[in-house]
Amino acid sequence: MSMDRARFETGLRYDAFKAAMTRNRERLEENERRVTLDAETVRFFRSLARPLNVVVLAEDWCGDVIANLPVLGRLAKEVGTLDVRIFYRDQNEDLMERWLNQGKYKSIPVIAFFDDRFRELGHWIERPASVSELRARKRREIFAAHPEFGSPDAPVDQLADDVRARLQAELQKMREETTAFANAEVQRELRELVAAQPVR
Amino acid sequence: MSPVKIKITYCAECGYEPQTLDLAKALMYEFGGQLSSIELIPWEGGTFDVRVADKLVHSMTRDGGFPEPKAVADAVRSALAGV
Repeated sequence: MSMDRARFETGLRYDAFKAAMTRNRERLEENERRVTLDAETVRFFRSLARPLNVVVLAEDWCGDVIANLPVLGRLAKEVGTLDVRIFYRDQNEDLMERWLNQGKYKSIPVIAFFDDRFRELGHWIERPASVSELRARKRREIFAAHPEFGSPDAPVDQLADDVRARLQAELQKMREETTAFANAEVQRELRELVAAQPVR
Repeated sequence: MSPVKIKITYCAECGYEPQTLDLAKALMYEFGGQLSSIELIPWEGGTFDVRVADKLVHSMTRDGGFPEPKAVADAVRSALAGV
């Protein structure tokens, strides 16, 4: 796989991706409104010596895309040094093969930073590990507090419809409550990723 | 031979609807009135579980990936035969 200027420019800008969404646009835009930009991250990206080219792999059905792409979208709009182009995962298998999660999973979003000569500086996949860990812990706490939900490892189809609906509501509430942390962690990880690979 | 109930729990936020519908359709065409119901349960967290009668015949978490339709069909035939 290669990325060069010609291919890069075939990717969708953030607003074009939103316009082309066949679903979840309202959720994505709601998440966009809820992003609080981190001052240190904004300062860092604004101070880059040269703008960066940012390749994103995404699909509009993916929950992690709906949650995390708006963070990048807002950040790019604010700092002016990130030229973001979005490619559909399922139409760009060569790109996906390059950035497989743990070498085997087609996790998205992928956010890859390139310098002006299209040398990769680093890439970021899916969501911060700290967010997965926090939500796994909160999930265990929910199950511990509600014995009627059964085991956290048991298939949910065995739950009665009303119990399953309550579990879903609890999980949704937990995700809402951890969103601010998640958005901050995405910004921190993107900043640290680029900071670790100084622009050449 | 009593009708068999099938449940497919799929991750809606992962976009597993096509695989869910493909499997449901294949089972409907193959078994028709031998099934009492096919229940589709939208869920999250990368789930794709298939239960035939009371037996969990496929779990993405446990088995990885999506099930082979033939394996699910075999499980339905076994359930219909009372095996």
